[in-house]
Amino acid sequence: MKALAALLMLPSAALAEPGVPVYVPEDVGISTAYAGEYYYMVGGGVAAFDCSGDRFPDLVFAGGEGPVGVYVNRSEVGGALAFDKVQSGAEIDRVQGVWPIDIDSDGGLDLVLLRLGEDVVLRGLGDCRFERANEAWGFQGGAEWSTALAAIWERGQGWPTLAVGAYIDQTAEAFPWGSCTENRLYRPAGQGFAPPLPLTPSFCALSMLFTDWDRSGTPSLRIANDREYYKGGQEQLWHLPPDGSPRLFTEAEGWKRLRIWGMGIASADLDWDGYPEYFLTSMADNKLQALREVPDGAAPVPVYDDIALKRGVTAHRPYAGGDIRPSTAWHAEFGDVNNDGRLDLFVVKGNVAKMPDFAEDDPNNLLLQGADGVFVEAGDRAGVASMGVGRGGAVVDLNLDGALDLVATRRWEVPEVWRQAGCGGGHWVQVALHLPGANRNALGAVLEIRHGDAVERREVTLGGGQGGGKAGWLHIGLGDAEAADLRVIWPDGSVGDWLRLAAGGFFDLSPGAAPVSWSPGGSAADCAAGAP
Amino acid sequence: MRVLKAVVAALWLGLCTLPADAAAREDAENAVLLGWYDLVLELVRHTATYSPPVASRAFAYVGVVAHEVQAGGDPALVSLAGQLNGLAALPARDPALPYDDAVALEAALARAMGDFFGNTGPSGQRAMAAVHKGLATAAAEGLDAAMAERSRAWGEAVADHVYQWSLTDGGAVIENMGFPLTYTPGSGPDDWVPTNTQALQQAPLLPGWGENRPFAMPVGVPCKAPPYPAFATGPGTGFYEAAQEVYETSKVLTDEQKAIARFWSDDPMLSPTPPGHWVAIVLQIARRDGLSADRTAEALAVVGVAVADAFIGCWSEKFRHNLIRPVTYIRRHIDPKWEPLLITPPFPEYPSGHSVQSGAAEVALTRLFGEGFAFDDATHEDDGLPVRHFGSFREAAEEAAVSRLFGGIHFPFGNRGGLVQGRCIGDWAARLKTRS
Repeated sequence: MKALAALLMLPSAALAEPGVPVYVPEDVGISTAYAGEYYYMVGGGVAAFDCSGDRFPDLVFAGGEGPVGVYVNRSEVGGALAFDKVQSGAEIDRVQGVWPIDIDSDGGLDLVLLRLGEDVVLRGLGDCRFERANEAWGFQGGAEWSTALAAIWERGQGWPTLAVGAYIDQTAEAFPWGSCTENRLYRPAGQGFAPPLPLTPSFCALSMLFTDWDRSGTPSLRIANDREYYKGGQEQLWHLPPDGSPRLFTEAEGWKRLRIWGMGIASADLDWDGYPEYFLTSMADNKLQALREVPDGAAPVPVYDDIALKRGVTAHRPYAGGDIRPSTAWHAEFGDVNNDGRLDLFVVKGNVAKMPDFAEDDPNNLLLQGADGVFVEAGDRAGVASMGVGRGGAVVDLNLDGALDLVATRRWEVPEVWRQAGCGGGHWVQVALHLPGANRNALGAVLEIRHGDAVERREVTLGGGQGGGKAGWLHIGLGDAEAADLRVIWPDGSVGDWLRLAAGGFFDLSPGAAPVSWSPGGSAADCAAGAP
Repeated sequence: MRVLKAVVAALWLGLCTLPADAAAREDAENAVLLGWYDLVLELVRHTATYSPPVASRAFAYVGVVAHEVQAGGDPALVSLAGQLNGLAALPARDPALPYDDAVALEAALARAMGDFFGNTGPSGQRAMAAVHKGLATAAAEGLDAAMAERSRAWGEAVADHVYQWSLTDGGAVIENMGFPLTYTPGSGPDDWVPTNTQALQQAPLLPGWGENRPFAMPVGVPCKAPPYPAFATGPGTGFYEAAQEVYETSKVLTDEQKAIARFWSDDPMLSPTPPGHWVAIVLQIARRDGLSADRTAEALAVVGVAVADAFIGCWSEKFRHNLIRPVTYIRRHIDPKWEPLLITPPFPEYPSGHSVQSGAAEVALTRLFGEGFAFDDATHEDDGLPVRHFGSFREAAEEAAVSRLFGGIHFPFGNRGGLVQGRCIGDWAARLKTRS
């Protein structure tokens, strides 16, 4: 209730209809389409992270049947977007998804490539070059049709834990239903991975996310599963005790069976109650799950109510283009695209492949959150209502001007990249988290952001979405506020001091150290002042 | 069950061949029929438009195709042309030339799959192609090429005839998964209102389905559901007490009652649907008893017609009464926080659709197999639900009906009334003459 009151106490300007950002499609020279037929109907993601060392996000695309494409960001601050394709050593085919993570904590981001066949980990060598590290790190890549990834550093570990989701049995041509293959959990073994544990039962995972849903300090593993192919399956939540085997949450613990075409997960603390909500993409209606109110003094139980209809995010049917058939949603990601202090939602849409019961012209959604917590569709007004057969995506500030840009990958066609014109309409800050030693990018940390009396919590994660993920700057929209009030709860549970970070700045945050300001140069400061 | 499916899968993939000698052609027909129907049960589950009413329609037409191929080559069998509403005489074989029933049946079912499951997704399309390739190759193995081609063409002609007939029944085009794009719920205290938070389901499923042309039942739905207690909200009234029974039952459900509710839940997209459950029962009996292909096809046609007519009759009644669901009534008048065990389907309550179609299937199958015909039902074995045993089709239908009480999605009178209407409708299918 306190959080809701704070939400409604935003400056009067924030109570108006959310400002609609203007996106400009840009041909930035990306030539990597997500190619292939049946075996590439899912996946097709993008990784956004800096591999070149200039702190601008570079882009790496899964190529499906074709090779992975690595593109170095040559954009100027606030300027038109520009990328150069480079030879990187990551040019591997049959890749479904790409995720950036500094596995060996050497300060350079590595890559996990999930494939139709052996999964591959690539060590980052700097300057956007990579080398195979399966053998060096003891990573048994398997031979499955791998489709989902989530990563976390379990408490006290010097090496990450990777959850890999698998899809259907590639050999089950006439009878693929009920043939979901085993998900795997790679836990550390010294400076490498132990042989993977099976995460069974497995139900054709398309998205995975480590998330501290109950604020216990120990993340659980949430899995979105595709009901098209499982039998006896459902969405899943796994306990992941640091010193024990993973086990499923049960009905006795409150977990309710949900069976959808689970395709993507996006999480955010939308109501500023400290617990994440989960947006689950599917076909037709999408879900927005909110944890049922936790009684004072009680431990949370994993019971969720679907508030998608109430919040205006069912996104179940095209809103433009005239096709009345139900939608198919894939990648989903929250971000404050209009810098008004409230998170918005980008959803990439696209037919599976000539499924006549579902929309063929299926525009992406850009759902802007209003002051009342209800989202309104603005994809067409913002210029991102693409009719491409979308799959993966990213909400990321590609030219470091403080206004979030958008990327959507497509089957058979090159990705679409939209630059946000102007500065997003409000103030912002961006922060990067750093840890010494292991887990250099602080996966599992929580950013707490004050909004009046309420506090929004943002988990630092790698997972969710569809076929890809991000690392790097964390963007926070501020509306009219001149500064962000925030603190970091580090993965080991230590709580940083409250910080007041001036709008328009980039800050490096480390435990026990004062924020370090960083500037990309150029005209970012103009946007900090709220210039259009 | 799984072993048999594996054998059929091997045939699909051409890993073994069907026997070419004339004495074994019966086996070939059976492999074709059961092989395609195994896939039908999957396609129903994995084609988004296949809500239970739409699924029932497909089961009826595919069953008719299978039976008509048999009837076209066996003078002991009787065509359904002239018995089913609007079905004209089917293409005849050239009496001077030989045909192969297995090849004809395979071709007919392959064509029917494309006709009635063309909307399925990429995996379904791929599976249909693989099954067709495997079964067609195996069925024609060792046969005279001209005869095989003649049989194939005739089988396809039978399927085409049935498909053309199907286009005029009112149920051929399904938009938006069957949900109207706009809908204004009634405002009366007993009117159905949406029961979930899915945007798509803020309108009821297929409100016009009851106007479709029935198969064996005369047009106009001669079979009505009996009256139910007058709507009332006060304790002591019949209606309130019915709701109270749903509520109280939900509070003391036994494990067995929960198992029954889930066994007959038959959710669309997650199971073969309620009509598919009865088709699955027929297939299990066919395998257990080694039924001949003509006997299996006959049963599939009759039970398909029965359940399809049941959904037409049931939907006619549902939208005539437009009755509130228990979840809505109980939350308004008994317990605002009540949650049923099962998810309430998105359409009016009275009568219970599963009860109507189970009553119809019971009558049709009892006519074919007799009273007290016992069977095991492993329909949901792959989904982890245990096998259930029934001493008769009636026992199974009664359990299907009461499962909706345990699930909390129907009033007791909706289940009882559904069985009454369904048995009446099923009698029309049971009267079809399939053998001379």
